[in-house]
This record gives sequence, structure tokens and C-alpha cells, in this order.
Amino acid sequence: MAVYLTENASMAVRTLSANKLRSSLTMLGIIIGNASVIAMIAVGQGAQQFIGQQFESLGTNILFILPGVAAEGPLASSVPAQTLVLEDAEAIAREVPAVAGVAPEKSDRLRVTWADQDTQVDVTGTTPEYTSVRNAGVQRGRFFSALELQQHQRVAVLGSETARSLFGERHPLGAKIRLRNHSFRVIGVMAEKGSSMGMNQDEAIFIPISVMASQLTGEDNARTSPTLQSISVSAKSDASMSAAQFQINNLLRLRHDVKEENDFTVRSQQELLQTADSITGILVVLMAATSSISLLVGGIGIMNIMLVSVSERTQEIGLRKALGATHKDIQVQFTVEAVILALTGGSIGIVIAVAGTVLFAALTPLEAIVSPVAIVIAVGVSGAIGLGFGVIPARNAARLDPIIALRS
Amino acid sequence: MSAFKSTDSSTPATSEIIRLEQISKHYGQGELAVLALHQIDLLINQGEYCAIMGPSGSGKSTAMQILGCLDRPSGGRYYLQREAVDSLEDDNLAYIRNRKLGFVFQQFHLLSQLSALENVMLPMTYAGLPQKERQERAASALNQVGLGQRLTNRPNQLSGGQQQRVAIARAIVNQPILLLADEPTGALDSRTSQEIMNIFQGLNEGGMTIVMVTHDFETARLCQRIIWFQDGKIINNALTPEEFLEFSRGDSRIAPTAITF
Repeated sequence: MAVYLTENASMAVRTLSANKLRSSLTMLGIIIGNASVIAMIAVGQGAQQFIGQQFESLGTNILFILPGVAAEGPLASSVPAQTLVLEDAEAIAREVPAVAGVAPEKSDRLRVTWADQDTQVDVTGTTPEYTSVRNAGVQRGRFFSALELQQHQRVAVLGSETARSLFGERHPLGAKIRLRNHSFRVIGVMAEKGSSMGMNQDEAIFIPISVMASQLTGEDNARTSPTLQSISVSAKSDASMSAAQFQINNLLRLRHDVKEENDFTVRSQQELLQTADSITGILVVLMAATSSISLLVGGIGIMNIMLVSVSERTQEIGLRKALGATHKDIQVQFTVEAVILALTGGSIGIVIAVAGTVLFAALTPLEAIVSPVAIVIAVGVSGAIGLGFGVIPARNAARLDPIIALRS
Repeated sequence: MSAFKSTDSSTPATSEIIRLEQISKHYGQGELAVLALHQIDLLINQGEYCAIMGPSGSGKSTAMQILGCLDRPSGGRYYLQREAVDSLEDDNLAYIRNRKLGFVFQQFHLLSQLSALENVMLPMTYAGLPQKERQERAASALNQVGLGQRLTNRPNQLSGGQQQRVAIARAIVNQPILLLADEPTGALDSRTSQEIMNIFQGLNEGGMTIVMVTHDFETARLCQRIIWFQDGKIINNALTPEEFLEFSRGDSRIAPTAITF
């Protein structure tokens, strides 16, 4: 049987290569289909992995508390709400035992200038605990201290990218930068963190939240606590995550006097990761499904050409039957041809997909992973397409009456 | 050529190759049915060299298809080497065509993408013989028809006569009991035709039973026996070429030397 198939395969290769242009055009659909399916899956999986790494870099035991109701994942959390205040953060630090550190964040996008340089940057007012909670290191200089926070000192720690764009190769420590006509002394530069969820974490300036509230956003009001964009909380350990989440939830419900739906959202890193994963997962499936339509079209193309081929080769079929080919022999011959067309097209598609993904990974910050599983599946699907769409033409061929087929 | 001698030709009981009994063939149904063959009987023995002749539409092609197991008769019995083959399944007919029959066609019907050797190997592929044996036997068959030097040539690199010789090699390579030729010289000039006829002659002298359909008396005159078809019937089933000339003289429809359709 193996010999039989090998011989059929070598015969098919010769027949197909006798008509190279037609064979190539026939394979085109499968080539495109396979290439796009594999490339889409590769890019999608790359994106998933990339997002995963980003979240890892934030730390795995972090909870985010966001104002308002973030019903549908991290993307919806940008809906502005003013329900979270600094006192909430202080209360969490004071009253929730499972919490190791609390970093309130109050941020705004502001213009920063130094000498003749200026740029737009996210300025975050926070507390010294930010570095430990958010797993962020300081590369040069230092982060601001509790004392500086308390004394409303105008000191700033720059993100690495912001330091580069403002100061270039020059030394930023000790320099005076301006934010909203206030002068700030640069005391440190953060270590590089990369971007996360489309936000470059290195384009940032960190200042004491007291200064942020009193001097930059003009909320210096003794009666109300400053509102926050978020509170980052680190749990004592990965195991105490759910306890922390539960306790924070209870505390804030009490503090906010919530009767029904929460006016805040507590999200764990894990949940954010899962949400992001499910979104990219859906995207990958959608993209792969779209591309697989071209695989289907490719299969129809193969069937079409095989049907033409059968009607052109009636004499050959008749002759083979006269020489003793059975129904099955002819069926196998034409099926093998279709399968070889599909497999060859599939393999070319894989090569193109791999080349394309490597190029994509080189040109974008995203990684692209060509998974062996995707390749195996693609080869399998190509073969199946050849088999499936080759059946009807092959059956037509096998059914030809040798007398009619031989009549010239 | 002795290789093609039937091994059991010495016993008279097995010398019968073809026996047709009351074979009929009609195409279509009911009122529109066309009767192509009408209850023909025919006996051809081992080693005979026969020509089937007759005007167009006389049923000789239909008879050839039935003899070649390419088609089944509508009625009657067909015994090939004493085995009834008239109502076998397709796959059994394919087996018989492969092992017991050799075909030579007017248009050669070689596969253009294959070399001469590979074309000759084809019937043995369907017989499931190992590659090495196929190559050896195909080379030997091509040698036998005088094409030992052209094994690797493609059909388009060969003349018409050479192509027909490849086709003959292909027809005999499975050592059939019967060689069927349908207008084997119809596409060839007279000199090349002569070469082909010489090969047939040689095969027949080696013991091969040959039945050929031809229009051309020049081709048929080398046969021992001419079978004359007309209107779906066998009018005369055993004429020598000399008798055929005599026979045809009386019938205006038969002008042997002029029949060159």
C-alpha cells in the first residue's frame, strides 16, 4: 500500500509539474489561506504572551482599585468617576491586614518643560510606597521620601523615557523642570519598565501626591480628600490576594456608604490578565476564522481545477482503465493529485507565514510565535482539504466509461 | 517470441481463446434502441491471427469493445479462455484486461509525461509487480519491438511508428493471451504500417493470438483469417485473404483495396 501511494505520488508530481502555471495558480488559494491562518495565530499568540509579560512586570500580587464601575474589563475603567479619594487609600493601609503596601495614584497629563525642551507626559502624584507596590525600581538618584511628601516638597522622579527626551545625554539629577509654572527639582530617574496596555510606563513623572493635589490640580481643600485615579495595593503574599480583595471591598463599601452596586472596582492582576487574554483570544479566533475562509476558497479552487483536469484527461483515464486500472486505482490517482496540490500549497503557505512572522516580529515590538501545533494543524487541514475537495473530481474520473474515454 | 506462447497450448482442450455465443449489443432504451450487434457467434483459437473487417457501422468496433472486456454485451455469453466474462463486475473486468488482454490503438494513447519505458511499465503497475521487475520486463519488451535504445525518450521525441511500437510493447508486457488491435496502422504511412505489421507477424509466429480491426486490406491480407461484419452480424467468419478478395468482388460495398477511410 505504501509503495502504491508513493508511486501514485511520484506520478502525481510529474503530472502536476507538467503544468506548472496551472498547478501554482491552483495552489494559490491554499498558500494564501495557510499563510494567513498561521501568521494570524502566530501574531495573536505573540500578543497574548506580550501582554502576559507586561502584567508579570507589574507584579503578581497587586490589586487595583478603580473608581466607578468597570463592568467590562480594563478598557472600560477609563470612564471618569470621582468616587475614590486619598482617605480611602489611607484607610486601606490602616485597616486591611492582608495588605502590605498601598500606593494612591492621582495623575494628569501635563506639559513639562526644561530649558528649551518640552513634552506632554503623565504626571502621577503618589506616595513613596509606589516603588514597592508597583515593583518599580529607581535607576539613578532616589524616589521621594515620606518627609518630602509630608512637607509638600516640589521634587520629581522621571520615567526613563521622559528623562531621555528632556535631557538627552545630560545629567538630569538636580535640574529644575517646570510643571504648570511650578518648578520641580529632579531627584531620580526610574528604571525602564516598557509599555503596558498601550501605555508607555517610562513616559512618566512621579511627584508627591500632596504636591499634586495642592499645587497642580488645584484641589487644596481642607474639607475634601483629593480624588484619585486609582489605588494600587500589594497583598502580603499571593495567597492573601483574595482576602485582601474581600477586605478592601467591605471597607470601601462601608466608607462609601454603598447600599447597592459598588461605586468602585477592585481588580486583581490575574483578572486583568484573564480579561486581556480573553480579548486577544477572541481576536485570534476571529482572525483565524476570517483567514480560514480563504482556505475554503482554496479548496474550492482545487476542486475546480481537478474537475477541469479530469475532463481534459478522459483519454488518459480510459487508457489506464483499458490497461487494467480499477475504479479504486483511478480514484486514488486523482485524490493523490489533489492532496499533493493542497499539501504543497500548504507547505509554501507555512514558509511564507514563518517568514512573514519573523519580519513582523522584527518590525514591531510585539513578538510573534509560530507554534508547531499551528503548523501541524495547517498541514493536516491542507491535506484534509485536498482529500475533501478531491473526492468529487476523483470519483468522476473513476466513473468514466473506458469506451467513451478512449474515443478520440 | 516464445515467451508469449501459452504454456498449456499443447492440450487441445485449452486452445480455445474466444467463444461468443449469441452476443447482442444495443444502445439506448425502447423505441430508440440501436442494435449494434445481433446474436453473433464466434470462435477464435489459440495462435490465430484474425482481422475483423466491415463497413462503418457494421458493429466491428462494438465487437472489439466486447472482446476487449471494455463493455458488456446486452445478451449472449462470452467465454474468454473458457471463462464466462460477459457479466463480470467492473473490477474483475479490469483484472482481465490487465492480465489477459493487450490493447493497441490507432492513436497510440501513450502518456506524454512518461518515458517510453514508463509507458510500458504502466500495465505492470496495475498488476502490482515490484519496480525492478517492471523495469526489466519493460526494457525487454521494448527491445523486442526494436526500441531498446529509446527507453528514456518521451512520446513527443518519437516518430509515429516508434510510438506505436511502444504501445505494442506495452500491450504484450503482461504476457496476455490475446492481443487486440484497433486500426493499429490507421495513423501511419504505408511503410511504417509495414513495420508494425511485421511486428504483429512476429508476435503471432511466437504463438500470440491477435485480433485486429482494420479498414485496410493491405493490413488484413497478412492475417490468416478475415471476419466480415455487416449490419451488426458476422456475414462470414473465416475467409482467407484470397477468399476475401473473391467474396468482395461480388459486393459493390466491399472494395477492399479502395477502403482507405
